[in-house]
Amino acid sequence: MAINRYTKMAYGSADDMIFGKSKFPVKAGLDLEIGGGYTSPEVNYAPRPEAGASKEKLVKEYQRITTDIMNRMVQVGFPSVVLETEHVEQMTNNPTWGGEVAHAQKEIMEEFHDEYGIKCALRHTPGDIREDRDFLELRGDKFNTLMESFEEVASNGADLLSIETMGGKEVFDYAILRNDVPGMLYAIGCLGTMDMDFIWQEIASVAKKNNVVAAGDTDCSEANTAMFIAGGLLDKNLAHTLAIIARAISAPRSLAAYEAGALGPGKDCGYENTIVKSITGMPMTQEGKTSTCAHSDVMGNLVMQCCDLWSNESVEYHAEFGGTSVQCWSESLGYDCALMNTALATGQEKTLRDLMVLSDKYRDPQGYVLAYDNAYRVGEAIVKDGNDIYLRAKNAALKSIEIMEEGAAGKLELTRFEKGALADAKEALSALTDDQDTFMSDCMAKYKEEVKVFLPENYGL
Amino acid sequence: MTSLDIDPSEILVRYNVQMEKAMSPEDAAAELYPTDELYRPIAEAIFEGEEDDVIEGLEAAIDAGKNPIALIDDALMVGMKVVTDLYDQGIIFLPNVMMSADAMLDGIEFCKDQSDEAPVSKGKVVCHVAEGDVHDIGKTIVAALLRANGYEVVDLGRDVPVDEVIEAVKAENPIMLTGTALMTTTMYAFKAVNDRLLEAGIKVPFACGGGAVNQDFVTTYELGVYGEEAADAPKIADQIVAGAALDALKEEFHKH
Repeated sequence: MAINRYTKMAYGSADDMIFGKSKFPVKAGLDLEIGGGYTSPEVNYAPRPEAGASKEKLVKEYQRITTDIMNRMVQVGFPSVVLETEHVEQMTNNPTWGGEVAHAQKEIMEEFHDEYGIKCALRHTPGDIREDRDFLELRGDKFNTLMESFEEVASNGADLLSIETMGGKEVFDYAILRNDVPGMLYAIGCLGTMDMDFIWQEIASVAKKNNVVAAGDTDCSEANTAMFIAGGLLDKNLAHTLAIIARAISAPRSLAAYEAGALGPGKDCGYENTIVKSITGMPMTQEGKTSTCAHSDVMGNLVMQCCDLWSNESVEYHAEFGGTSVQCWSESLGYDCALMNTALATGQEKTLRDLMVLSDKYRDPQGYVLAYDNAYRVGEAIVKDGNDIYLRAKNAALKSIEIMEEGAAGKLELTRFEKGALADAKEALSALTDDQDTFMSDCMAKYKEEVKVFLPENYGL
Repeated sequence: MTSLDIDPSEILVRYNVQMEKAMSPEDAAAELYPTDELYRPIAEAIFEGEEDDVIEGLEAAIDAGKNPIALIDDALMVGMKVVTDLYDQGIIFLPNVMMSADAMLDGIEFCKDQSDEAPVSKGKVVCHVAEGDVHDIGKTIVAALLRANGYEVVDLGRDVPVDEVIEAVKAENPIMLTGTALMTTTMYAFKAVNDRLLEAGIKVPFACGGGAVNQDFVTTYELGVYGEEAADAPKIADQIVAGAALDALKEEFHKH
């Protein structure tokens, strides 16, 4: 598959973007259309640790999980659902295990579809196993095993293929702990995108061959690491202004999947997905207030603004008062979607969208930049130099800084630390060259020296 | 965007803005620096995270007759304590600590090179990431904070086999072992480590945390002490050095 860079926006204005509708809806699975005028829950789960002891135990666990979710959807009357199986490492490292799990799940989903007509699809997300104890190993034997895993799940029932790639993480982990914004730019924007270009052409080929959907990636390994380290308002581990700069840079990285053939829906934990949707017009999954079972964030309502699927991130399978954990969380997701779908059916969708945005927009700089009007502006900055993976990432970072400065002049309150980190980041970015080759060459020398686990050959360098 | 807008103060409170200390980090640090004119530039360079300036300050102090090994405690660790104290008080952020720790470690290496004596640390800690888990940013933070607080760290890295952890503990005789894990599927290795240590008659406190690790899980094995955040690691170590037994550690650090 070829790489086709985006150099213009899919939407004419930010206000055209809404939940449940995308420019290019995706048909998948059993009668489901994603982004075709309604939202659906996407339920994500993890097996109990002891279930990983054998293939048989794992398959049984996923059969229980799948049956529980489908049952609850029918019991409460929801019309559609997507299930996402994020692989435990045993399933990706043993590709036939993942294939058997996908097959077992799909059989159950087909039974429910046949009996009740519920629209549904199955996403499988193999783990990015491309690393050994000391180094990332993005190309080679582990890559081959990973692609076998995609082949197995695609040929055994998975409708949507995704992954959370690790490219750039070794440099990112070093840079983020040292307030090194150029290093973040190099790691996410350049190295990450180069890895995405490489792996997503292959995933798109597998999807095409098996007539399933290459669905997309997320910069979980970097932008979510920054968000997680940044934590809540009183945490002192990372300025939230830096976390959102990392997020802005992650948008062109996640965009690369679509440039290599992915069609959406993008992965749930890609908080950058509103930016990506503004550029591609493709459907996106998001997570927020209904993923507190997995983590906390500071934009629980806002991030629902333009979602096509609404996810709980992940929950371990176990008993709760209200049923099993997957039943409880899928029901919550279903009610969220029912509200959005009611807004769509009554023509009130923009009001609901804007209320969700306003309830969080000033909570934190991360939500402020990701509010759809500002996210759209970051998208415009990316496509302006869409053919240059370095410049577009730099543009995204600078635009996010500009947006935060505007916010700080109004209703967005920032601490002195956040303002200081913002000013330092702006200074560091403004001092950078506009020439990709110079930047890449300078960074190669610097990070090869400073980050002992950085292997340029992982990126074809 | 919509014409809708709101006064955000009606729906949220920016507690971080409210709580922010009046004093700037630089002003707060200035009050804590040593007064000795040879030590102060070293402490300032540590705070700024400027490796070259640290070495320059050490050279000046050694030229003036100071013992290189004594400088580790008298200047480098004093400068680092300014950093860790301000971090504990919420006045500076983690990246500042990391950069200062880098500068301090360069300084310690320089001092060791200048002397035949060996420095004495507060204690030795073995750190590792659970077998099967390659996510090591949490362990990196823990190791840096321990070093910043004067502990010698034996960093076994990530995806460390249980056998290797046991061998390291036997060989190094640490005051504490730490384990981090991102995933529930890998943290079960902590139980195996615990059982093997007990079989060998080694009752070293085993501080565990990270990602999916929670207090409920850690309390299921005898040596486990749950660390909710990375900054708990040096605090647990300090308690051990002060003589706290396992029960006392659990009493203090098991918060839920």
